[in-house]
Amino acid sequence: MRRVAIAASQTARFTKTSEKSIFELACEPCIDIVKSVRDIDAVLLSTCSTEQYSSTIVSEMLGIKPKISHRIDNLCNSGTNAIASAYSMIVAGLCDSALVIGAEKSDSKGNRLVWDITRGSFNFPVHWAAMFAKAHMGRFGTTEQQMAAVSVKNRKNAAKNPNALFRKPVSLEEVMSSRRIADPIKLLDCSLACDGASAVLLLSEERAKKVENPVWINGIGQQTNSASFAGAAENLSALETASRAAHDVYRMAGVRPSDIDVAEVHDAFTILEIMAYEDLGFAKKGEGGKYAEKNEIAVNPRGGILGCGHPIGATGVSQVSEIACQLAGTAGKRQVKDCRTGLVHNLAAAGSSATVMVLGVQK
Amino acid sequence: MRQFLDYIKAGRFRVPVCTSCRTKAWPPSPYCPKCLSRTAFRKVKTTGTLLEFSSSHVRDHEGLFGVVDMDGIRLVGSFDPDASLSVGMKVRMSRCGVSDAGTPYYWFDVVK
Repeated sequence: MRRVAIAASQTARFTKTSEKSIFELACEPCIDIVKSVRDIDAVLLSTCSTEQYSSTIVSEMLGIKPKISHRIDNLCNSGTNAIASAYSMIVAGLCDSALVIGAEKSDSKGNRLVWDITRGSFNFPVHWAAMFAKAHMGRFGTTEQQMAAVSVKNRKNAAKNPNALFRKPVSLEEVMSSRRIADPIKLLDCSLACDGASAVLLLSEERAKKVENPVWINGIGQQTNSASFAGAAENLSALETASRAAHDVYRMAGVRPSDIDVAEVHDAFTILEIMAYEDLGFAKKGEGGKYAEKNEIAVNPRGGILGCGHPIGATGVSQVSEIACQLAGTAGKRQVKDCRTGLVHNLAAAGSSATVMVLGVQK
Repeated sequence: MRQFLDYIKAGRFRVPVCTSCRTKAWPPSPYCPKCLSRTAFRKVKTTGTLLEFSSSHVRDHEGLFGVVDMDGIRLVGSFDPDASLSVGMKVRMSRCGVSDAGTPYYWFDVVK
């Protein structure tokens, strides 16, 4: 099978909000990439913005005449879905180079799912996150301090990331005493929807020959169980979508959880990172809380979603962008030492769908 | 979905049930998720089990809430702030309706 490399990646500074249109935001991380590579066959725009023909408008603004251009939306995992599509197009031979852009406005119309009436009056993401957290605490004895430790770690990492929204570290006490949103979840256990954009350039194996130090996409696993909260997580304390996607990606990439050196996981809420440790096999079932206090694998070196902010359609692309930088050794102050295999875990809507990707550099 | 909300607006909890295999289509759908036959709205059991619960402090969404399973129909219900809840207890839908914002709500009582 034809291999696919990530040849370049860029992330723009995330902001709470901005005057920029979705199109301008989308162009921002692409300027340097497009200046150096003019021959781009596909442009895929990942966004929950409902602006018409947006991928094609951005292509025209960037002076690209691609063979393929369209928008991809799958809520919070739009980004990794767009990358999975671009990967497939290259493997199939439809194109040799694909620019995948993730861009979002904090107030994009499509950021919130309205269709899901199974959530009743309590239809904010924090409400299902509270159910997951309470179930995990009740079943495994996970504590609020362990959840807070995730926030402390990710905010500390974000302080070293010039593109992160939150660059001020927080203490365990600050997280624990922050405003209660939905018990046991507090303000600093939550991420914030924001403006942001990120882009990655995917190349076929042949085209990547000229690239110095390419990062390879070694596997993609995906699973969709439902669109509603009702069908998302059978027992509320684990995400079957993520564990199935992980099982598939480990098999495809020929690696085990212990081979992962660096990971970006979907920490839209602190409890999700604890569940990710277990669903990805980093920790045994029920021991994610304890794992949060150990940090054996470098998880969320860019600061994760908690530290960077959550530009919904851009999040997955920015996660992949970070792991590509880490593996290429270009992560600057955030560089994790000696990393060769990296993982990205990206969820949507209460974990009703999940993508897990494994990236690597030549051994 | 519009028909479901019309029933809810009238305070009636009706769910599409498959005309062929009797499977409940939840969330509401004109097609059976199991055999893809058409569904028709039916009265269903409105007692269930409380799977998990919490308190919300989100502005305009304050209150006690919990995940209820009613024979495979899982939804998030509202509870009286004074209710004494525990995981696994039996609960019954007392009323339902649609808010001014167009969001359905489902209120539950503890079955004594």
